[in-house]
Amino acid sequence: MATASAAGTPMTPEEKKVIFASSLGTVFEWYDFYLYGTLAVIIGNQFFSALDPASRTIFSLLAFAAGFIVRPFGALVFGRLGDMIGRKYTFLVTILIMGLSTFIVGLLPSYASIGIAAPVILIGLRMLQGLALGGEYGGAATYVAEHAPQGKRGLFTSWIQTTATLGLFLSLIVILGTRTAIGEAAFADWGWRVPFLVSVILLGISVWIRLSMNESPAFKKMKEEGKTSKAPLTESFGQWKNLKIVILALVGLTMGQAVVWYTGQFYALFFLTGALKVDGATANIMIAISLIIGTPFFIIFGSLSDKIGRKPIIMAGCLVAALTYFPLFKALTEAANPDLAKAQANSKVTVTADPAECSFQFNPTGTSKFTSSCDIAKQVLSAGSVSYENAVGTGPAKITIGDKVIESYSSTGLPADEVKKKDAAFKGAVSAALKEHGYPSKADPAKMNKPMIVAILTLLVIYVTMVYGPIAAMLVEMFPTRIRYTSMSLPYHIGNGWFGGLLPATGLAIVAQTGNMYNGLWYPIIFAAITFVVGMLFVKETKDVDIYGKD
Amino acid sequence: MWKYVVGFVIVAVLAVWLLSKGGDVDMSGEKHSVETAPAATAASAPASAASH
Repeated sequence: MATASAAGTPMTPEEKKVIFASSLGTVFEWYDFYLYGTLAVIIGNQFFSALDPASRTIFSLLAFAAGFIVRPFGALVFGRLGDMIGRKYTFLVTILIMGLSTFIVGLLPSYASIGIAAPVILIGLRMLQGLALGGEYGGAATYVAEHAPQGKRGLFTSWIQTTATLGLFLSLIVILGTRTAIGEAAFADWGWRVPFLVSVILLGISVWIRLSMNESPAFKKMKEEGKTSKAPLTESFGQWKNLKIVILALVGLTMGQAVVWYTGQFYALFFLTGALKVDGATANIMIAISLIIGTPFFIIFGSLSDKIGRKPIIMAGCLVAALTYFPLFKALTEAANPDLAKAQANSKVTVTADPAECSFQFNPTGTSKFTSSCDIAKQVLSAGSVSYENAVGTGPAKITIGDKVIESYSSTGLPADEVKKKDAAFKGAVSAALKEHGYPSKADPAKMNKPMIVAILTLLVIYVTMVYGPIAAMLVEMFPTRIRYTSMSLPYHIGNGWFGGLLPATGLAIVAQTGNMYNGLWYPIIFAAITFVVGMLFVKETKDVDIYGKD
Repeated sequence: MWKYVVGFVIVAVLAVWLLSKGGDVDMSGEKHSVETAPAATAASAPASAASH
């Protein structure tokens, strides 16, 4: 069915163009993903800082919805279109919506110019972008796989995964290049718009190339024969025969893939800077180097999956991740901040508090306030990367560091200036006691074992490539052409958006709750282990599946 | 694909070079809260979620 050459022969120019055109969309997607992280504070200042707290909460919830609800909804909307009308048309629509939404943000007047309309339009654009983005990955994977020869789908689709690294680097080049060229103040004032405006170049190239592409041969044939699905959503999710495969794709594949990916790239960075107190610039460089070394493994594992199967590689990735995260992150502490490792081993810290005062500080939207004396005590210790034990007591929470006992405070109902005063006094007392007991305020660059840190980070990225490299091919091969786009997009976005996306907030809440800075790792370990078990038991190998067999 | 590889290497080297010139930026991906300047984000708001 595929127009591609037989396995074993080099890629044709047409095949390369297919991969390039598809990957450009995902580069765009990743470029945006990083822009909305790197520029979050500047965008917040431009659009949200003048809002009252209640309005800010609403906008936070809407921004949260743009990522967590709209994206899976986009997977349904554009997946359905892709299965009914065609891959090529849907592909064009998603990139146009995504690209124009990004570009318009660069032109959007700030709150100071047009008032409340500015954040409303911004959130609207992010919603549109999230919607289109929901259809982008599934489209790219489906389109490439349907052009790939049998026996090379793993290799072909693995190129798409490398765009995550490329998107990060492109965003860094544009952001840092602009910032360096015009200076910090001008960048915060207007320069932040440049990365959004520059994206129009990427959009132009993407649209131009996609317009010149042909429809996927499998879909074209199906359409000519009148066999396309009239109701892809009903066929995908309304019939148990297919729904169970969708659920298996989620629980037995994408859930574990997502947490391994988030841990390898984002939690590792957060752990380095937040827990181990490595300065941001050094941590970023080490992460970037590990990504450069690790990224080719997407192709290696994608290609290997064509030979030995998708399942063994993805499952092995989930298993080794679950088994080795604790030792690897502990080794990361030894390499990045040996003083902290020593202090943690030598000085016992205890939080004594009334359990009724202690919350599970889960705050995915950033809108919750934790004001009890227990929560405040735990936040301060977590921020200082202090592992502590919990003891039951009464009255305000107390922190015991060696022979020092420091009483926490509750900020509930207190005026802001008093909270500020109490906060400064409390933090000052805790940090003085920690210092006395050998806790470093930041990692000492002279004591860092940088080659070891990069080696550990690279290994974490290699785990990511094991689970991510073959995933697109596997998802594509699980579903028939008539409902492929719809069926594979949803588990991908729920897996990555929900299970992966909630990892940082959940990990942090677990750390604050339990007092051990490694305990956040239980989140990815548990989900990777579930995926390993479910995947091993119920997910079938797909590499030899004829993806047109059921057409 | 060698062109892609060369392109990737150029982009990667340029990005790392820029990072080494002052790259204390947030590389942790998209945020889903409406953050403002650091002073405004109280200690009571732990990291928000990122998703993709």
